[in-house]
Amino acid sequence: MAKLEAKSEVSGFVWKVETELGKRVVKGDTLILIESMKMEIPVVAEADGVVVKISVEEGAAVNEGNTVAVLEI
Amino acid sequence: MKDDTKLRADLRLVLDAQAERLDAARPRAVARQDKRGRWTARRAVEAIVDQNSFVEYGGLVRPATKGMEGAADGLVMGTAKVDGRPVDMVLYDYTVYAGTQSAMNHAKITRMFTHAEKHRLPVICWLDGGGARPHDMHVTARPSTPTFVVFARLSGLVPTVGISPGRAFAGHANLAGLCDVLIATEDSAMGMAGPPLVEAALGKRYTPEEIGPASVHWASGVIDILVKDEAEAIAAAKKYLGYFEMQQPAGEAPDQAVLRDMVPENPRRAYNVRNVIQTLCDVDSVMEVKAGYGKAAVTAFGRIAGRTVGIVANQPMYLAGAMDTPACLKMARFIQICDAFDIPLVVLCDTPGLMVGPEVEKTGLMRHSARVLSALANATVPVLTVVLRKAYGLGYYIMGSRPLEPAILVAWPTAEFGGMGLEGAVNIIYAKELEAAATPEERAELHAGLTAELKRSNTAVESGAKFLYDDVIDPADTRDILVKTLETLPQPAPRATRKRVIEPF
Repeated sequence: MAKLEAKSEVSGFVWKVETELGKRVVKGDTLILIESMKMEIPVVAEADGVVVKISVEEGAAVNEGNTVAVLEI
Repeated sequence: MKDDTKLRADLRLVLDAQAERLDAARPRAVARQDKRGRWTARRAVEAIVDQNSFVEYGGLVRPATKGMEGAADGLVMGTAKVDGRPVDMVLYDYTVYAGTQSAMNHAKITRMFTHAEKHRLPVICWLDGGGARPHDMHVTARPSTPTFVVFARLSGLVPTVGISPGRAFAGHANLAGLCDVLIATEDSAMGMAGPPLVEAALGKRYTPEEIGPASVHWASGVIDILVKDEAEAIAAAKKYLGYFEMQQPAGEAPDQAVLRDMVPENPRRAYNVRNVIQTLCDVDSVMEVKAGYGKAAVTAFGRIAGRTVGIVANQPMYLAGAMDTPACLKMARFIQICDAFDIPLVVLCDTPGLMVGPEVEKTGLMRHSARVLSALANATVPVLTVVLRKAYGLGYYIMGSRPLEPAILVAWPTAEFGGMGLEGAVNIIYAKELEAAATPEERAELHAGLTAELKRSNTAVESGAKFLYDDVIDPADTRDILVKTLETLPQPAPRATRKRVIEPF
């Protein structure tokens, strides 16, 4: 099993955590919503897998390239 | 039948001299390149060209400096066919004095660039080397070096593709900086000067990778296409040159129905415009350029029913698609490439406008955003505009709006129009009413209500009624409408003269 880090493409704040630990997700599922420039920007699963780590809390600041969740694929 | 067993002495001399430059005769040089984990220039030639199509120029040239030896003086060049189309190609050979530029190979490369200019041939440059060869400074009666001037004059006349497969410093970096499109491997390094000159100037020793790693050039917008290795670099170069065959058989169309749900119903929710581009274009036909830079915009070549198009799109995933200086620089130059070579432009608009605030003013956005407008206003290539969602302010004006006379201007049901950002407009139009509000909460409520009202009067259908767009369409019909519109636009006649220069950045 390989680990896949889901990273935010933008700097902003965590608006919503749309997934939960242990959840099985498919490619394209939204994991985290980042708020930036009054927009909600989804960080999506790049592959099918299971959420094994959520690295951020709602309201937290994130920088471009930060890991927000980890999938086991 | 050629009988090589009974050769005249004069012919024998020539054939022996020709054989000396080949990899088979240079096992030690090949081994050195293997040790670096790199391809030889001749291996690259074989991988680039159609079989048996390469005709070498200047293969017998030797270094001008007495006592130096080097096959073809470190530059393999000639004409060839690539996927059936003719090209000129120049490849620096790192195994000859680190691929350096010498008095003789400058004369060679100038010959090839002049040839490309005269015969209108695209140029592929394999830029593996460390700039000028210092030893040749001693060459007496050294000719002048028109290499860079001649190459700069090819801009807009013929497509130029640079590949940086290893090291490209100084003179090689100058050539890289002039190419229309620069492809580089992830482990390559480039820079204005290599370690010895940097140390002389700054007093500190750096490795080439510390000076100019590919990651830096990817983020700065210098590299257009980042690839894993030589094979991928060559595949990318071939794909790029393929777009200049303006009409190919129509490729497979992706399922268009997904476009109906591509823009989320929630107006605050971003989406990745790359998915729109991939769906509108033929399967596997898209090639994005400068993806590491100016991320609030996406620029890509692609094919729609086999016809080459250039796509310029706002990216709502980044800065909500607001146009900042890097995005503008990226778009302006891409438009120049497409216009120079008569590639129709598809503009996908979803922008809240030009980026605002004191920070972007420091970047010179006034001038850089003007570049995009100037490029489009002066382009003669057809523009096909699709408004996906936000179409606000000067951002929309630049993104293929009506005054730019697009060949067609259509909008999706999610289109929102505003001469400026609606929230800001409400502040100005209703300043007195807002001022009169009793509490901040009341003011916020009033503001939200007025903004919503303004938004309702600017929905896609309302804007269609005011003839802001040629039509408002089912997103799933977009590709079909683009195809039909492209069919109304005749292929331009081959040009006798250059249409425009493409700025290096």
